[in-house]
This record gives sequence, C-alpha cells and structure tokens, in this order.
Amino acid sequence: MKLLEYEAKAILAEHGIPVPRGSVIRSPEELAGRIGDLPPGFVLKAQVDVGGRGKAGGILMADRTNGEKIAGELFKTTIKGIPVREILVEERLAITHEYYASIAVDRSSKQALILFTESGGVDIETLAREKPDAIRKASLPLLLNRIPPFMLRNLLGSAPKELGPVIQNLYAVFLARDALLAEINPLVTTPGGPFAADAKLIIDDNALNRQGITQNRDLTERERAAEQHGFSYVELAGTIGVIGNGAGLTMATLDLIEYYHGKAANFLDVGGGADQERVMHAVRLVASDPTVKVIVVNLLGGITRCDDVARGIISAGIAQPVIVRLAGTNEEEGRKILDGRGYRMLDSMEEAVRAAVEAVQ
Amino acid sequence: MIYGDKNTGIVVTGATGKQGAFHISLINEYARQVGGRGVVAGVSPGKGGQEVSGVPVYNSIRDALKEQDASAAIVFVPAFAAGDSIMEAAAAGLSLVVAITEHIPVHDSMQAISYAKLNDCAVIGPNCPGLLSPGEVKMGIMPVHLSSRGHIGVISRSGTLTYEIVDQLTRAGLGQSTIVGIGGDPVIGQTFTDVLRRFEEDDQTRAVVLIGEVGGALEEEGARSTDLPIAAYIAGVSAPPEKRMGHAGAIIEGGEGDARSKIERLKAMEVPVASRPSDIPALIRKLI
Repeated sequence: MKLLEYEAKAILAEHGIPVPRGSVIRSPEELAGRIGDLPPGFVLKAQVDVGGRGKAGGILMADRTNGEKIAGELFKTTIKGIPVREILVEERLAITHEYYASIAVDRSSKQALILFTESGGVDIETLAREKPDAIRKASLPLLLNRIPPFMLRNLLGSAPKELGPVIQNLYAVFLARDALLAEINPLVTTPGGPFAADAKLIIDDNALNRQGITQNRDLTERERAAEQHGFSYVELAGTIGVIGNGAGLTMATLDLIEYYHGKAANFLDVGGGADQERVMHAVRLVASDPTVKVIVVNLLGGITRCDDVARGIISAGIAQPVIVRLAGTNEEEGRKILDGRGYRMLDSMEEAVRAAVEAVQ
Repeated sequence: MIYGDKNTGIVVTGATGKQGAFHISLINEYARQVGGRGVVAGVSPGKGGQEVSGVPVYNSIRDALKEQDASAAIVFVPAFAAGDSIMEAAAAGLSLVVAITEHIPVHDSMQAISYAKLNDCAVIGPNCPGLLSPGEVKMGIMPVHLSSRGHIGVISRSGTLTYEIVDQLTRAGLGQSTIVGIGGDPVIGQTFTDVLRRFEEDDQTRAVVLIGEVGGALEEEGARSTDLPIAAYIAGVSAPPEKRMGHAGAIIEGGEGDARSKIERLKAMEVPVASRPSDIPALIRKLI
C-alpha cells in the first residue's frame, strides 16, 4: 500500500529524518486558523496518490494573503481524476541542491537495493535511461541491520557527508516499516541542513497486519466484498465474468478471452484452498455485476478440491449462465455433483473460454 | 532428477494444520505408488508425540532429524511464522526447503532466503506449488494425475497455470522430467536461472518450458543464462497496467516487466513464446 506524502513524512520524522515544517488541512478555512504559525511564503501540496502531481497542478505556491483562496481552488480540482480532499501546507525551503535517495526490494538480487544520485528532483526512470552512470547503487542483504560505512561512502561520493545519516535512517524506516520502497525525491540541502522535501513509502500488503495499518482506499461495493472474502478482484470493461484459482491461471484465462476477441468483465482469483462457501461467494459477487452476461469458472485443483467447488457453484443459485471447467484434486467427485443440473461443463479452458465468448456475441 | 528422488526423506512443517495433514497424505500416497520414501516426519511445536496421516509429529525439525533421515522440508505453516520455519530447516542442515505458504511478508522471505543461502540450503518458493518429478518424488501440492514421466522440464512462477500446461504436455505425449513451481512472490529462492542450471546437469531433461508472468525480469535472466532448448508462455498480456492481478509478483511496474515487452525481449533471444497455453506442445516438439 502506498502511503500519502504526509503519512510517509511523519514516519521519516519518527526515524530522525528532517522534514519541512507543515500540517494537513481538509478545508480552506482550516488554513485561516493556522496562518499565524506559517512562514510568509509556503507551499500547498495536494495529497493524492498519483505520479507527476506537480506538473498536473497539484503543487502551488502561496503566501499569507492569498493562501486561503488558492487552497480553496485546489480543493475544487481533481488531479488526474482524483479529487483533492487533503492538502499538506509546508514551509518553503531555501534549497541549495537536490539529490535522490531510495531503498527498494530488488527481485533479482533478493536484497535491498539502495540508489543515490546527485541529480535529484527528476524522474528516476528517465535518468536511469539517459544517464545510468549518474545513479550509484548498493545491494544490502536484509540480514544486516545497518548500512556499512564503506557502502555509504561509495554511495555519496562527493555529496555532502550530512546526507549519510539521512540514508542510514531511511534504511531504518525501510526495515521497521516492511517497505517495498522508501524514497526521498528530492532529498535537498539547505543552509539549515538536509530535508526530505518529498517522500514516498510503499508498505508490503502482506505486512499491513503487523504494521497496524488498515487500508482506507475508495472501493466499490463489490471490491469491498471481495476484500472481505480475501479474493483478488479487479473490475474490467467487458461482459464475461471470470473466476479462477491462482493468479497465473486466472490471468491466462483473461488473455485467452482477449485472444478470441472477447472482453472480460473482471479478474477474480479465489486463491488457494477455496472451499464451498468461498466459491459460492465468488460466483455471487461476480454475478452481482449487472454488466456480466456469462461467467466462466476455470479451476484446477491443487490445494483446491473440485467437489467443494461444485457444491459452491450450485449453492450460489445465480441467474446468469455458468460455464464450468474443473480439473484436479477430487475432479471426478466434482463432475458427479454438477452432472445433470444444467451447468455447462467443458473439458478444457480453451473450450470454456470459446463457449463464453460465443455466448455473449 | 533434480532436487530429490525416491530416496529423499521429507519433513513437513505445519503438519497438524488442515492443509499440512491433507497434503502429507497425498504426498505419501504418491510415494507408495512410485516406491519412494515420502514424508517421514511432521513438525508442529507443542504437538510432538502425536501422529498425523500416519506420520510421527515432532516439536522441532532438530528433534525429527534425531529419529528420522531426511534432507528436505516442505513448509505449510501460516505466513507470519513461515520465514522462521524456512530458517529452522536451513539451520537443521536440510539442503532443500519448499515453502508452499502464501502471503509471507517480503522482508521475512528476503531474510530467510539469505539465511538459508549461508547454510547451503536451496529454497523453492515461497507462494509456490512445490515440485514433482513424475514417477520419482512429489514435494508439494501439485495434482499428480495430470503429469507423466518424460524429458521436458517445466519451471513456473504460477501454481494452477502450471498444472494446466503440464496437462497440455501430457495430452500431447510429452512427459515431464521435473516440474518446479518457483513461486509467485516478488522475492523467491530458486529462480528460473537456478533451476535451469540444475536441468543442465540432468540427463533426463532435453527441453524446458518457462511459464512466466508480468513483473520483474527473472524470465529473461533465465533465458539468457542457459544453452538448453527452451520455450515460454507469459501470462498477463491483457492485464491493465498498475492493476494488481493476484500475487504480489503479478504487478506491472511502470512498464517494466509488462507481458508484451517481456515477450519481445524473449523473442529477441530467439526463445519461442506461445500465445496460448495449448500452443506450447507444438513449440516444444520443434525443439527436440
């Protein structure tokens, strides 16, 4: 889960990383109440989870005389389709130089990958493409609880030494918060020392529990139901409902629908060990989407038992036609349960997908 | 054979849980069919002295190894304790851990995999279906009736999609040497590259199917590393960017690792890539 800028900065501050003075407002009137505490010039930053926020008009300069008016306008805008509900009001920094620092989970090395560059404030992907040598890298096994000093020296090069503790503390944040990415961009130097001028923190969804974080995303009713049941569910634009077990098989089912020029209405992965009740809820959930005209259930048993699946489909009792493909553990029992009850059972995923595409044409 | 054979003794952690107990019985049913040793011990802290699916249960892997001869572990314990279980197996001197558990926090996986490496222990997974060498040994949860013994190696990041493709191979008369589910998480132990290296030294294996997904670049790294004839299938061509489709591994990260560009990179290395799972047998036929 990606945290908002002000949430990320609060965590950085807890770990001793200097962040600009600021506070969050939820209406322009709140700004009026705090204007006395603010410096003469400040920045209004829309707290929306989108990239390229500055270019999209989400970051505005203001002062004590026009702050409330500008905040009012910012609250009325949407940034790349996301309404602005919170604004971070921050002191303006006297920046002498901008750097970039990040620590991320690296799939290839299976270690933490630390990146640092003296050309901060830019899009790191662009820099990596155009000037790869400008980015310094270090890999760190998570068995180490601190960045070794030699590694910090190599990362910093001729950059000011005062940035060392910031990167060290960023690693502490990365470890303590189960981060997939902890990024400061730009990391700035000022006459008053270094500051994290912007921050990005992505927390591992599998660690939200032990981090004490609850997701508060804007969900549709069906998405919320899916989350409650622990399904991976994504709504798409088509009319063929898809239920599979396992992300790979479900994705391959969507790909096959596209191959046959059909359009999937959703992706729903019931996960491992789906029992009768979970399958019933999955079928009902997909069927509750009024755009769904037909449902393909493509299940291969591993942990999942086909007899459970068959009972789940029957107990869902929905109106749309269901095309079923079942194979795997207890396959024969599953077939027997569905036999003669009006469900279309096909042998292969290929046939099942083609039947579904034909059904909506 | 790679990773294990009929003589491999297996310890299962999380043995007294529902999935652990269910799969011990399936693994040992297969072991009886092929004349292998299968699961020789279960481990569940505090439940030592019990028996599950006909297998003795011990409080720790160390206790189990005092009485039983084993070289591999299969981990079924819940996510919050699975990293610990992997490290326990590595510390006890086992050379292979297959971690079935899904939803393990990625930092736990990274620590456990690093620690296992220090102890010369290979980790398959986490979030994987394990491995199956038809006619020899099953170390995981793959359904055995879809497989057949032969000369095609299979390496996959997926679970159920692997069974689908194994089924296609079997129906086409292409038996498998070993099928390895390496796991769908962003950080996994054995990668395509590691498993391909084992296949290179395996007399049984003549060609390998790589089953990949959106996210990362492990498929390309693997393809680049080997001289073995390989064919690939990549799931997620229709996945919209920035949408999470199931596993943590299956996220498209800012264009990099999306299915189409991954397929392009594989094709540039002259790796044949199937556009449907059912096209794989024909591609493999051309290679052998």
